[in-house]
Amino acid sequence: MRSATALIADDEPLLRERLRAHLARLWPQLEVIAEARNGREAIELFEAYAPQIVFLDVHMPGRSGIDAARAIARRAQIVFVTAHDKYAVEAFEHGAIDYLVKPFDESRLTDTIERLRNGLLRPNARAAGAALHDDDALAGVLDRLAAELERRGARVPGSLPSGEAAAPPTAAYLQWIRASVGTSVRLIPVEQVAYLRADEKYTLVVWEGGEALIRKTIRELVDELDPQRFAQIHRSVIVNLHQVAQVQRGLNETAEVHLKGRSDVLPVSRSFVHVFRQM
Amino acid sequence: MSAQALPLVRPMKALLATLTWRRLLLTLAMVIVIAALAQPIFITPYPELVWQLLVIALLVQLAFSAAGQWPLPRVPHWVSRVLAVVLAAPLATLALQLALVGGSWSEFVGNHGMLHGFYAVTVLVLVFAPSMALGALYRERDAQAQHDALAFALEKSTLEKQALDARLKLLNAQIEPHFLFNTLANVQELVESRSDRAGPVLSSLIAYLRAAMPQLDDGDDATLAREAALVRAYLELMHLRMPDRLVFSIDIPAELGALRFPAMALLTLVENAVRHGIDPAEQGGRIDVRAERSSAAGEVRVSVADTGIGLLDTAAPGTGLANLRERLQVFYGHGARLELAENAPNGVCASIAFHPA
Repeated sequence: MRSATALIADDEPLLRERLRAHLARLWPQLEVIAEARNGREAIELFEAYAPQIVFLDVHMPGRSGIDAARAIARRAQIVFVTAHDKYAVEAFEHGAIDYLVKPFDESRLTDTIERLRNGLLRPNARAAGAALHDDDALAGVLDRLAAELERRGARVPGSLPSGEAAAPPTAAYLQWIRASVGTSVRLIPVEQVAYLRADEKYTLVVWEGGEALIRKTIRELVDELDPQRFAQIHRSVIVNLHQVAQVQRGLNETAEVHLKGRSDVLPVSRSFVHVFRQM
Repeated sequence: MSAQALPLVRPMKALLATLTWRRLLLTLAMVIVIAALAQPIFITPYPELVWQLLVIALLVQLAFSAAGQWPLPRVPHWVSRVLAVVLAAPLATLALQLALVGGSWSEFVGNHGMLHGFYAVTVLVLVFAPSMALGALYRERDAQAQHDALAFALEKSTLEKQALDARLKLLNAQIEPHFLFNTLANVQELVESRSDRAGPVLSSLIAYLRAAMPQLDDGDDATLAREAALVRAYLELMHLRMPDRLVFSIDIPAELGALRFPAMALLTLVENAVRHGIDPAEQGGRIDVRAERSSAAGEVRVSVADTGIGLLDTAAPGTGLANLRERLQVFYGHGARLELAENAPNGVCASIAFHPA
């Protein structure tokens, strides 16, 4: 039997070594022609050497194994390698994609090698002749998997703007406000912010830990902050609704906002009184 | 007047609410007994004496409650209430007597028997009412103390529950299977290839598991030194897994090691630095763990600085940081802070500042 070629991609060097050692013993004819440390290298090395088989770690820095699989698509037989990811394993099984769970044992690897050999013997079943339909199915599984891992906060930074990958459905509202405090640039979680008030060219941020000036304008902030949490109540004031203690109606269709645990009183101007109407 | 009448409705209701059945019955009993005892000095028949005294007693009681309802500024509570009783006694008696003679002042003054009765009743009421007022005050204070004790117990149990919740959340979040199995895969390779490093790496893993796994009690052994040991074991394992991508240093002065420190708090920050800073970066980076005491205020600051990919403005903060913030409050009180800052030129510096207990 003619020798087969393979690429191993994993960010952990010991795990690359381990897979290589086991493959050498169980499948001596297989030639591992390259090792990649991340998804980007995996794609580059694949394009350079066109191996028939690619072992891809799911979690890799920069571009993930899922990104690499999208780029390689059906041009090689892909085996995913992952450590205890219930969701990933379910997705692989569902999409009939080969996978190994780290730490794997030899018998599991033997099964995988068996399938890979069969695949190489019947190249047409997998390669160019396969229906376009198949490619779509694969892409679908990978998309769902990437989204799922992203949602669970797993380390799949994956979604670089590279075309086919659908952008992750993350809410793009501001979660942190960067403000200079002394010599450092503090990252203030928005939920700690009580209110923001225009101050000449700057905006004053008042939060649990103090006050600071930032360069963003109230107008910019209105668009960037989550409207579920923040509301503009005056031309120059945005308040965190979760920190409002009470709203007092004033004369002339205006009102005043009192905050929880603070003595500050914020003005609500006529055109923004409607914010509190339904409350 | 009518504008003021409305806001008075509520206190009036509260005032009437102080006339409980218990109090009314007690008053009735007292009046019956006192009337019987005082009968010899009055010419008024007994039943009449009872109802007259009853009316006066109720009026005095209302005065007592009213004084409690509208406290006077700068006058001790008990003084104003006893004073109300003392003033109300003659006034209520006078009002009753006047009512009995149809409101005619001259008839009241001219009637010797009535004047006599007025003095007798006033003295009688003045003898009993203040002591009863003091008794009632004592009971009220007792009830207040009981109420305070209950409120205190409630607050204490709420705090304890919060602390427990925080710990349970932490317990759920710890020892990620992904971390554990990946590390075990590395150990497996070292063992299979008969590497000399297998022993030390296993030691690190055991140290990590021992510190992270069993008890999350923030007891006496929850110290900064212990936490530092846990963090070192964790970082050594991560360094094994990504030798070319992670460099770290831990600098915690020995004199700070004995300070009480909530279990897993520092590990949470270090894990965040690895997961969100170093691991997603192709080139990796370094993590510096440091503790120092600011000379001025005696405040201790423990920080974890990484040179990773940094934080996007729109990155949703994980529950880990919120939980940690909560635990710091429970552990150190409200003086403790968890702060995040940019680490120039790239990465994040997270720090915990607290006043040692």
